[in-house]
Amino acid sequence: MSEFYGYERSDGSIGIRNFVPIIATAPYANDTVKRAAEIVDDAIPITHPLGRCQTKPDVFQTYRTLLGYGTHPNTYGTVVVAHAGEIVDGDELADDIAETGRPSASVNIHRERGVMKGLEATVNTAQEMVQDASAMRREPFDISRLTFGINCATSDTTSGLCQHKATAGAAWRLIDQGGRAVFAETPEFFGGEDGLAARAVNDEVKGEILDRVENWDQRLRDTGYDVRGAQPTPDNMDGGLTTIEEKALGALVKSGDGPIQNIVDYGEKIPDGSGMYIMDTPGHGAESVTGIGAGGAHFMVISTGQGHTLSNAIMPTIKITGNPNSAERVPEETDIDVSDALVGDASIEWATDQLWDEVMEVANGKQTLSEVLGESQFAIHRIGPST
Amino acid sequence: MGDSHIIVVDSTDNLATAVRTVDAGETVTVDIGGTERTITVGDDIPFGHKIALTDIDEGETVYKYGKSIGYASEPIAAGDWVHVHNVESNYGRGDQAAEQTADG
Repeated sequence: MSEFYGYERSDGSIGIRNFVPIIATAPYANDTVKRAAEIVDDAIPITHPLGRCQTKPDVFQTYRTLLGYGTHPNTYGTVVVAHAGEIVDGDELADDIAETGRPSASVNIHRERGVMKGLEATVNTAQEMVQDASAMRREPFDISRLTFGINCATSDTTSGLCQHKATAGAAWRLIDQGGRAVFAETPEFFGGEDGLAARAVNDEVKGEILDRVENWDQRLRDTGYDVRGAQPTPDNMDGGLTTIEEKALGALVKSGDGPIQNIVDYGEKIPDGSGMYIMDTPGHGAESVTGIGAGGAHFMVISTGQGHTLSNAIMPTIKITGNPNSAERVPEETDIDVSDALVGDASIEWATDQLWDEVMEVANGKQTLSEVLGESQFAIHRIGPST
Repeated sequence: MGDSHIIVVDSTDNLATAVRTVDAGETVTVDIGGTERTITVGDDIPFGHKIALTDIDEGETVYKYGKSIGYASEPIAAGDWVHVHNVESNYGRGDQAAEQTADG
């Protein structure tokens, strides 16, 4: 039995970090959140342009994503900050977070009588939570409790030949020991959807994968423009990727070839059962990684070709590349360099071992490069118009 | 022995991926599923970019991983650089959908 050292939550989940997010419900609370997080060491600001004047599908998506961060295994407690009355309601969000047994507080800037008092209330609540969180100790738990997030970033033609194989190898190593993994980016299945759907555990999941791929292709066709430039991106094309199909066939390598248990909605909680899951997200990395974070993955392996700053505040992101030029050009975007396995100077098994060892160290508390450098992005995928 | 830096993923592919720069005029040997083939490269190939293994007619499917990655938008000769200037995608083609609507 392999173990990691984590923090136990009252809802039974186990965290690999002990974060205190401060979450804005709408853009008008963003500055208060950012200022409070500058004052309170170790508090994590979650800011975004959404949460107000949205139609219902977007309200649900924004709410579910923010709730996912407040109830994430790596979250100790949360301060929710609202500007005033919003359709994404701050009190309701704080109450739903509290239902998991986590410390939770709601600050409303209007109710506090302005930004200065709102800031003071946010800082006072957050500092108390951070101090309480720091008194917790890690304890050993079975690694089957972990969820392995997978995403690519600035893919190039090395991605599908090398680093994605190591990523798949490490993810399946966790699944084989009872854990789970999740990958996303549905438009990056284009051209490989039949092979992917054939891996589904049943006909229902198979149909769902094919329907969601068709839905994305239809959304893109409805724009009236060729998607090239958005998929693949200019940096993908610089790296040699010619079409979205080529990018997708490489991207799917990072999920390995084992069975797919299910496909979940954007930001939906990843099921507890062991195995490989898909989250239906766009290929836009900041949006897909934000969604996977809301789904509760403990950490994120970013398998990159050309290197990328892509990272997340709630999930430590481990960046792996198999492109020797990228490892040299952007070293602070490379946690793991497995380029020796690109042309067979070292084996994929060796590359998998390098990543696996890092994953276990990060689960036990080792900080990733993006954590040390304070890099993260937060972008909820938006469905429809503002109103 | 095939050049380890010029990779053919599947033996049914009609292109190879170079993970080194290749100069126009260079003759390279590639391993295609255990069979060697020698190709004279027609263009400078940047790191990570692709080389046609066979002549590919306009409209013909371009294969990598044994699967379609699109179609040739112009005739491609063996040894040519294969990229966005001569290959088009079959997905996300709102431009083609809009043309069909205009024509229909």
